Amino acid sequence: MNASSPLPTDSDAFRTAVRDFLSEALTPELIRAGERTTSVFSDFEAGRQWQSILHQRGWGAPDWPLEYGGTGWDIQQRYIFQEECRQANAPTPVMMGIQMLGPMLMHFGTPSQKERFLPGIISGENVWCQGYSEPGSGSDLASLKTTADHDGDDFIVNGTKIWTSMAHYSDWIFCLVRTDKAVKPQAGISFLLVDMATPGITVKPFTSLDGEIEQCQVFFEDVRVPADNLLGQENQGWTVAKSLLEFERGGQHFTIDLKKQLSKIQRMMSTETCRVSGDPTFAYRVAETQIDVMALEQTELRIKGSLTAGDNPGALSSLVKVSGTELGQCCAELLIEAAGQSAIPWQSEVLAPSYSGSTAAASESVTTMAEYINSRATTIYGGTAEIQRSIIAKHVLGL
Amino acid sequence: MTMTEEQTMLWDTADRYLRDHTDFNQRRDQIAEAIYNQPEKWQAFAEMGWLAMPFPESLDGLNFGLREIAILAELCGQYLVTEPLIDALAVASTVLIRSEQAATLVPGVISGDLIAIAAIDEPTAGSRLSPSCTLSQTDSGWRLQGKKYWISAGASATHFAVLADSSNGLAWVLVAKNAAGLSCETFPTHDGKGGANCHFDLPISDDQILLMGDAAAEALSAFRECAMILSSAETLGAAQAALDTTVDYTKQREQFGQPLASFQALQHRMANMLIQTELTRSLVYSACDAADHDSPDRGRFARAAKVKSAAVGRKVTQEAIQLHGGIATTDEYIVGHFFKRVTALETWVCSKGEALQEFIALDAKKVASANSASRH
Repeated sequence: MNASSPLPTDSDAFRTAVRDFLSEALTPELIRAGERTTSVFSDFEAGRQWQSILHQRGWGAPDWPLEYGGTGWDIQQRYIFQEECRQANAPTPVMMGIQMLGPMLMHFGTPSQKERFLPGIISGENVWCQGYSEPGSGSDLASLKTTADHDGDDFIVNGTKIWTSMAHYSDWIFCLVRTDKAVKPQAGISFLLVDMATPGITVKPFTSLDGEIEQCQVFFEDVRVPADNLLGQENQGWTVAKSLLEFERGGQHFTIDLKKQLSKIQRMMSTETCRVSGDPTFAYRVAETQIDVMALEQTELRIKGSLTAGDNPGALSSLVKVSGTELGQCCAELLIEAAGQSAIPWQSEVLAPSYSGSTAAASESVTTMAEYINSRATTIYGGTAEIQRSIIAKHVLGL
Repeated sequence: MTMTEEQTMLWDTADRYLRDHTDFNQRRDQIAEAIYNQPEKWQAFAEMGWLAMPFPESLDGLNFGLREIAILAELCGQYLVTEPLIDALAVASTVLIRSEQAATLVPGVISGDLIAIAAIDEPTAGSRLSPSCTLSQTDSGWRLQGKKYWISAGASATHFAVLADSSNGLAWVLVAKNAAGLSCETFPTHDGKGGANCHFDLPISDDQILLMGDAAAEALSAFRECAMILSSAETLGAAQAALDTTVDYTKQREQFGQPLASFQALQHRMANMLIQTELTRSLVYSACDAADHDSPDRGRFARAAKVKSAAVGRKVTQEAIQLHGGIATTDEYIVGHFFKRVTALETWVCSKGEALQEFIALDAKKVASANSASRH
């Protein structure tokens, strides 16, 4: 297979072509990395390797426009692709560069910035992390204090960023920094691209509740950044970031994973030895959750329909984010109940893609508890559920 | 799943008509006088083609699908229409249309002269659909005997489509409301419609028997599915209207020197109302589309819409009352009427619990057939 081989446009044939590619390209180790994923991110190296395979096939960034290396697929095809990848247990690479920074570079970047950064993002060679939150600036993002001061042709950055996912693996960070302290908070923010290898940057990882490391704090001490690395106009960073946040919220199809979780729950329910098998009260809760997932799926389709017609989903992406994350938490709860005591063993080593030994947890429940634990973060990151509700109240209801 | 041009036109026309012809205070006065179906309104429905929507062109119908009829149902919820529109269309499009008498009955439905309402619930059978009302053969012909109670919109009927048990299985029997041997007590219902309790003990001619046996059972399941979808659509319209009313009210009402709408505790509750209403909307429209395209998933979608709309209709209208405060507990304020209507719709023909159990059964079937397909 090569990058230019044509794909069928008929959706069944398209699905088959994707499936064929996946069964050929996914090694047992990559599949294991996908299966043992307990959060948004799979094992880092497996994810990077998979990104490079996808890139060689020409599928590194299906959502991007053709001219930047996208696929030219329509919305339906992109959905099928994502669905098949999840079904086949492909690992999920670190996507901040592709999903979030890429579109902003295309929109706000100079020709030389695009040329310089986009190829490394799509190939997976350069991994990016997102530097938004700060210890004192969570939901109130605009209050951020990390500064970038002019010094000749450079900026000098000082301050700290927190909850920076995968910073310990990242080559670059895109940051919101304060470039004007005299104006109102939103008006004095700029968007800066920073090489993580620059002197003055240190990374402190956090151990999450499930024992894994994904979140970090990044410290900047007199970090020298060339002015060429400013994305968009100086003091226009808030505008750049806001459109980016919509990508973060709206670009997801929650129901692909939700349906996968529900199938797993149903599989467990139909296993006689499972503690919830034959429990009608559990069956009702599963059915009600299923119905809610159907409602969300139809809503995602409705939004996609309006996107094709050229409307902006705007605040509807907040609706999808709230419902998708809360339903994910609901599924995670049903799964730990179905797994019962078989999910309590805590063995980090079994999550490694190379691990092929036995597990203390039941094989189907190896990741269940960690997924449940990590699901609590989903209504916090990317704008908390409360922030999303405030957005809906303001922009949809006009309150 | 966005609306087609034709659907948008239908929505706009119906919306305009109902807005111009709906007055909340007038509605209260009419209900007080036991007027649930204004003849001139019903005639206008007929003239606008609403009563012809589900029928094929061969019967001078407009051949619309449920997606279009659901538009009317949604607006009925929004405008608190007391006329028996979804009641009549649900029976006519699933029971009357399947009978041999369709060619003679449907023109009456379309013109507005024949309003057949389904008589299903019984004091002893509830909605469990195993009627104790019987159609039996006597020496002098058929005889219908038994009771049908709590018939929503029964007071507006010209006829009842009675679900009975017979020696040939289920039967649908058409009985005129003024028939000798039918005693019919009508009463107002909490949701502004006129209900009826009926005692049947009367001879039945062959041409009154619409369907029997398997055909009757098939019509019953079609009727139930249609009723689930249309009641979900009407619930959606009422919930949306309750939300809109609440949003408007909280923007105007001031307490502690500022509009209620400025309090975050209330904003987030209204955001939840919107989220749940929109999720319900997606399911209702998809259930219509699944039925109109005869998708293998139509049964699951209809039940999903019913379960979701029942839960959301209840929650949203309860919240609407709470966010308004005392005013919403009075009969003279509109929000409580949305609350009452969705409560009545919740158990009309099929309850949320029944729909959920049926959903589980259909889902098990789907999983089983998917498993056997993957084995072959």
